Amino acid sequence: MSLEIQNLHVRTEDKEILRGVNLKVEKGETHALMGPNGSGKSTLANTIMGNPNYEVTEGRILVNREEVTEADPDERARAGVFMAFQYPATIPGVSVANFLRTAVNARREEPIKVKEFGSMLRANMDLLHIDPDFTKRYLNEGFSGGEKKRAEILQLAMLKPEFAILDETDSGLDIDALRIVSDGVNALRGPEMGTLIITHYTRILQYVTPDYVHIMLNGRIVREGGRELADELEEKGYDWIREEVAAGAA
Amino acid sequence: MPRSWLEEKRAAALEVYEREPIPTWRRSGFWTTTLRHLRLDELEPRHYDPVDSFEALPGVVVDALNGEELSGLIVQRGASTIFTALDESLAADGVILSSLEQAVVQHPELVQQWYMKRLSPEEGKFPAASAAFWTGGAFLHVPKNLKIENPIQVVYVIDEPGTAQYAHTLGVVGEFAECYLREYCLAPDIDGQALHAGGFELYCLPGSQVKLAHLQDWGSGEVYDISTKRVEIQRDAHCGWVPIHLGGRLTKQTLDIVTAEQGSDMRHNGLYFTEGEEHLDLFSTDLHEQGNTTGDTVWKGALTGESRASYEGLIHIVAGAQNTNTYLQTHSMLLSPKAKADSIPSLIVKTDNVSASHGGTVGEIDEEQVFYMMTRGIRRREAVRILVEGYFEPVIGKLEDPPLEELVRELIAGKIAAAEEHVEEYVSQR
Repeated sequence: MSLEIQNLHVRTEDKEILRGVNLKVEKGETHALMGPNGSGKSTLANTIMGNPNYEVTEGRILVNREEVTEADPDERARAGVFMAFQYPATIPGVSVANFLRTAVNARREEPIKVKEFGSMLRANMDLLHIDPDFTKRYLNEGFSGGEKKRAEILQLAMLKPEFAILDETDSGLDIDALRIVSDGVNALRGPEMGTLIITHYTRILQYVTPDYVHIMLNGRIVREGGRELADELEEKGYDWIREEVAAGAA
Repeated sequence: MPRSWLEEKRAAALEVYEREPIPTWRRSGFWTTTLRHLRLDELEPRHYDPVDSFEALPGVVVDALNGEELSGLIVQRGASTIFTALDESLAADGVILSSLEQAVVQHPELVQQWYMKRLSPEEGKFPAASAAFWTGGAFLHVPKNLKIENPIQVVYVIDEPGTAQYAHTLGVVGEFAECYLREYCLAPDIDGQALHAGGFELYCLPGSQVKLAHLQDWGSGEVYDISTKRVEIQRDAHCGWVPIHLGGRLTKQTLDIVTAEQGSDMRHNGLYFTEGEEHLDLFSTDLHEQGNTTGDTVWKGALTGESRASYEGLIHIVAGAQNTNTYLQTHSMLLSPKAKADSIPSLIVKTDNVSASHGGTVGEIDEEQVFYMMTRGIRRREAVRILVEGYFEPVIGKLEDPPLEELVRELIAGKIAAAEEHVEEYVSQR
C-alpha cells in the first residue's frame, strides 16, 4: 500500500516547476521532503491533492496502485490522501466542529453518530492541547498561525488518512507549538499511515524522526538517504547541495 | 355623514394613486426596475372567510410556523384577516393585536395618533395604493414596561393568482417595553400574477427594546411586491431588524430605519437570495435625525439563475446630529454567470463630528476555499453550499431565533440545490 509519484512534470501558466519527480511513500513510513524556497515542494504537495492551478504535463500519481492523476481533489481525499496546508483557507461562517463533521461524513455511508463524533473530537483535542471553545469558532477566521496549524493537525487526526502530507506545518510555530504539533503527529503515526513531511528546516525532524529524507532542488529530487541526510543538511546548508549538484552535472 | 379621519386619508391617497403613472425606477448604470409585465388591471382583492383553528390556515403558513410557540398571531389571506390569536394574559396586560380595520373601530384615538406618521401616499403610486385600498391589516400595541417573550407574528399570504393584496401593518411598542415582531409574506408556487403592495410602520418608544424580522418568500409564481417599511426608534430605544428576502418575481422595497432621538440604536442586518428570473430592488436608508445615535447595517445577498438584485444602502446623518456612530456594508455573491448584482453604499452627512463608514462588494465563490474543502473529501456541490451558508451565517445568526434561523437555512439550502447545475457550471468554468 503506497502513495507513488512517477516521473511527475508540472507547470503553472508558463513555468515548469516539477521536472520529473519520483517518490514512493509506503504505509507505515515517514518521509521528509526538504528543499530551499522555490524548489517545488509545495507544488508537489498541491499537485498530489489535485489543485487546479497546477497542470500535470507528464507522469502519474498513484494511491494504492490506483491512478488519481486526473481525479478531483475530493476523490483523492476519499482515496485516503490528506494534506495539512501551509496556508489553509478561511471558511467564514462554518465552525470547526461543523466542518469536521461534514468532512468525516463525506467519507462515510452513514453519518457519524453525534456521541461518537463528540468523543472522537474531544480525544483528539486533548491530544493537541486544544481549548474546547476552539471548535465553535469559524474555521481559520482570525486564527493565529499556530492555531491554523493545530486545526490542520486536528483534521488529520479526525480524518485518519492512509497518507498524510504535511506542507510546511512547522513554519511559523514557536517551540512549544511545534512540540505539541509534533507530539500529535507522532501519536498518529503508525503502520496504518504513511507520512510525507515537507519542510524547509530540519527542526521538526528533531521531534518527528523520518525514515527517509529526500532533497529537492529546481523541481527534481537530487539527493536521497536516511535521517542522517537531514543532519548533514543542517550542518552544511542548501548551498552544499547546490554545489554538489552543480559538480555532478559538470 | 361627514367623512372619518381615515376616509379623508384614503381619499387623499386615492387622489395620488389616480394622478401618478405606473412608475419605472431608473438609476445610473444598467439598473432599471420596470413594471411593464405587470397586468395590474387583471388583479383584484380577494376575500376569504375566517378560519377557527391554526391547522385550518393555508399550508404555506402552517409549514412556516411549524407549531412554534407564539405570543400572538394574525393572518391575512388576500384581502381578509382570517385568523387572530393573542395570549390571554397579554391581552389582560393591555396588549392589542388585531386587524388594523378592527383597531380603527376599537381604538380610534390610538390608531389615529400613529397611523401614517412616517409613511405618505405622496411617496408614489404604490404607497398611495396601499394607503388608499388596504383592508385587513395588522395593529400591534405593547403597553409600556411590558416584556413579551415569544414572537408576535403577522402573516400576509397570497395563494391564488389574480390577487391584489394591499396591506398595512402598524406597530407601537411602548416605553421600556420589550417585544419581538415578525412579519412573514408568503405564497405557495402559484401559477400566474399577484401583487402585494404593503406599508409597514413600527414605532419604538423611548427605552423600548424591539426585535423585528421580515421574511419574504413569495414562491416561484409571478408575485410583485412593492412595499415600504419604516421603523422609528425613539430616545434610548433599540431596534434590531433582520429583513430576509427569499423570493418574488419582482420586489421593489424601501426599508428605512430612523434613529429619531438621542441615544437610539439600530442594528439592521438583511439578507437576500434571488433565483430564476427574479428581480429585486432594495433601497434602505439609515436615517440619523439626532446626535448620539448609533447604527450598524450589514446586507448580504446571493444570486443564481438569471436573477437581478440591487441593494442600495444610504446612511443619512442630518445637520446637527453630532456624535453619531454608524456603519454600513453590503455584499453580493454571484453564483451564476447570468446573474447580475449591484451593491451600492452611499453616504449623506450634513454635520461634523460623526463616525460613518460604508463599503460594498460583489464577489464570487472563492476557488481556493472550494479546493481546500474538497481536499477534505467534500464534494464540490456540497462545498459550494457550505460556503454560501457560511457567507450568510453572520446575518442569520443575528435573528437569535432558532426556529426561523432553521427555516431560513433550509430554504436557502433548497434554493442552492435547485440552482446546483448553474452553480456547478459556473464554478467549473472559472
